[in-house]
Amino acid sequence: MVDKKIKLGIPKGSLQDYTIKIFKMAGFDIEVPERGYFLKIDDPEIDCFLLRPQEIPKYIEKGKLDLGISGDDWILETKAKVIEVCDLKYAKQEIKRVKWVLAVPEDSKIKSVKDLKGKTISTEAINLVKDYLRKNKVKAKVEFSWGTTEVKPPRFADAIVDITETGASLRAHNLKVIGTILVSSTKLITNKFAWQDEWKKEKINHLAILLQGAVRGEEVVNLMMHVPEEKLKRILKVLPRLKSPTIKKLTGINWYDVESSCKEKETRVLIPKLKKMGCKGIIEYPLIKLVP
Amino acid sequence: MKNKKQIKFGFPGREWQSQTIKLFKAANYEVKLEETLYHLEINDPEIQCVLARTEEIASSVEEGILDAGITQKIHLLNQKVKVVEVAELNYGNDVWWNTKLVLAIPKNSKIKSVKDLKGKKVLARVLEIAKDYFKKHGVKAEIEWSDRPTEPKCPAFCDAIVEFTNTGNALRAHNLKILDFLMETSPVLIANKKTWQNKWKKEKIENLAMLLKGARLGLEYSGLMLHASNEMMEDVLKVLPSLKKPTVTHLRGENWFDVLTVANKKEIRKIIPKLKKIGCTDIIEFSLNKVVI
Repeated sequence: MVDKKIKLGIPKGSLQDYTIKIFKMAGFDIEVPERGYFLKIDDPEIDCFLLRPQEIPKYIEKGKLDLGISGDDWILETKAKVIEVCDLKYAKQEIKRVKWVLAVPEDSKIKSVKDLKGKTISTEAINLVKDYLRKNKVKAKVEFSWGTTEVKPPRFADAIVDITETGASLRAHNLKVIGTILVSSTKLITNKFAWQDEWKKEKINHLAILLQGAVRGEEVVNLMMHVPEEKLKRILKVLPRLKSPTIKKLTGINWYDVESSCKEKETRVLIPKLKKMGCKGIIEYPLIKLVP
Repeated sequence: MKNKKQIKFGFPGREWQSQTIKLFKAANYEVKLEETLYHLEINDPEIQCVLARTEEIASSVEEGILDAGITQKIHLLNQKVKVVEVAELNYGNDVWWNTKLVLAIPKNSKIKSVKDLKGKKVLARVLEIAKDYFKKHGVKAEIEWSDRPTEPKCPAFCDAIVEFTNTGNALRAHNLKILDFLMETSPVLIANKKTWQNKWKKEKIENLAMLLKGARLGLEYSGLMLHASNEMMEDVLKVLPSLKKPTVTHLRGENWFDVLTVANKKEIRKIIPKLKKIGCTDIIEFSLNKVVI
């Protein structure tokens, strides 16, 4: 009998909190014990494992895991053959988006990737860098770094390829960015064995709908406001077309209650605008899932 | 210059930093703080944040080094700073209520009232306010400015302190007790007077203030939804607070209404049992991000 269970890999480290949060919004509670790596999830059809995101793609390729979450940086780096079910990109994060960049000392003569010929590059993602160099037809030495890569130039390396969020840490080490190699996104991945199993495929697809709904719910908020009848037309034109607005007439007066959704970031511009146009009692509240 | 449309914004460091970050996050801003580098960035390229002490923000905004910023109301008084006060935001250090300025003495001190401080040494976080206070009471004391924290310096270096308190924990931890309460202070969003003449900058600052205030209210308020029959409506509307006009819509084909409003979370504790007693059904409370009345 086929075991009706999905083996799921949850990434440990920087993606961990976000992953557990979207699972929670998708309706799954994951409990992380203080020690140990066997996570508890409140779905008897799923077994959870906490693993480094670098390892998850390979375990999925080999069939040790059916499903997992990892960054496409590590999927590319490990060259694992996996099936991408969907993107779980955290679109809300603009500043903190994970970028792999090429950086050199401020006073370095290296101005672009072409100047790297014969130089030494230190990185945690060797394959990513090798592919990047090959694409740019540059021959250079790529050395694996166990961490704290930004302290290596200029003594131990001429350049580095490292993850950065705001670039502040690079600046603090007198490094400047001369190229972006990859802007990484978060992916839900599976393998061909699980994909051929009808039960698993359906389970994974359902999970993907809920997780994507949660990711969208994260970036979208609901707005509710009171609008006088004579301004209704103009206000409706201003509202984003994410979903058609719900309009209800208020009992006894010539005012309407308008409810609509918009991207969280748009509220910055939209709320002051709506207020100026004459809307009253504007409230914004969070959504948990949005499934269009 | 490429990006001329930008305001320089003083972001409070130290005491009020963590709560200000929470408020910006509540207003949907992404905030990135690199503590050791003293660098703070938000995901709005039109707002360049500079981490500074609230005292410095008050004077820098007055001088025009900064276009706007968040300082403490008390610094405006203490430093006699002339700026545009755009919005009061009401929070403290790690709490969502205002900070208080108090006069504190050691628990076992013989001092019973401010009069007993004649000729004694007092360390004060805000000097002019402290001096005014002693002058008002006709007490001549040796008052000196001190940086934070003053709690461990009493009684070793002084007989009393004029210090900020939020929870009273720091005072208790140093065996101090409050002798008198001087004033309450709230974070206030201020703007430079010249900046205020610039139409674009003024609107940018006003909008930021609207969002921060909306988020601040959103933390204190919840949404409330319920069903009530026609006969109950009069009683229901009496019970509901008047901050926002309730949204009343007719339920299809029935003599019942759907009522939606917002209320202070603390008031809701009292409102829900009352509504239940009136006979309302399907009462739902939901959390809010922002309330802009």
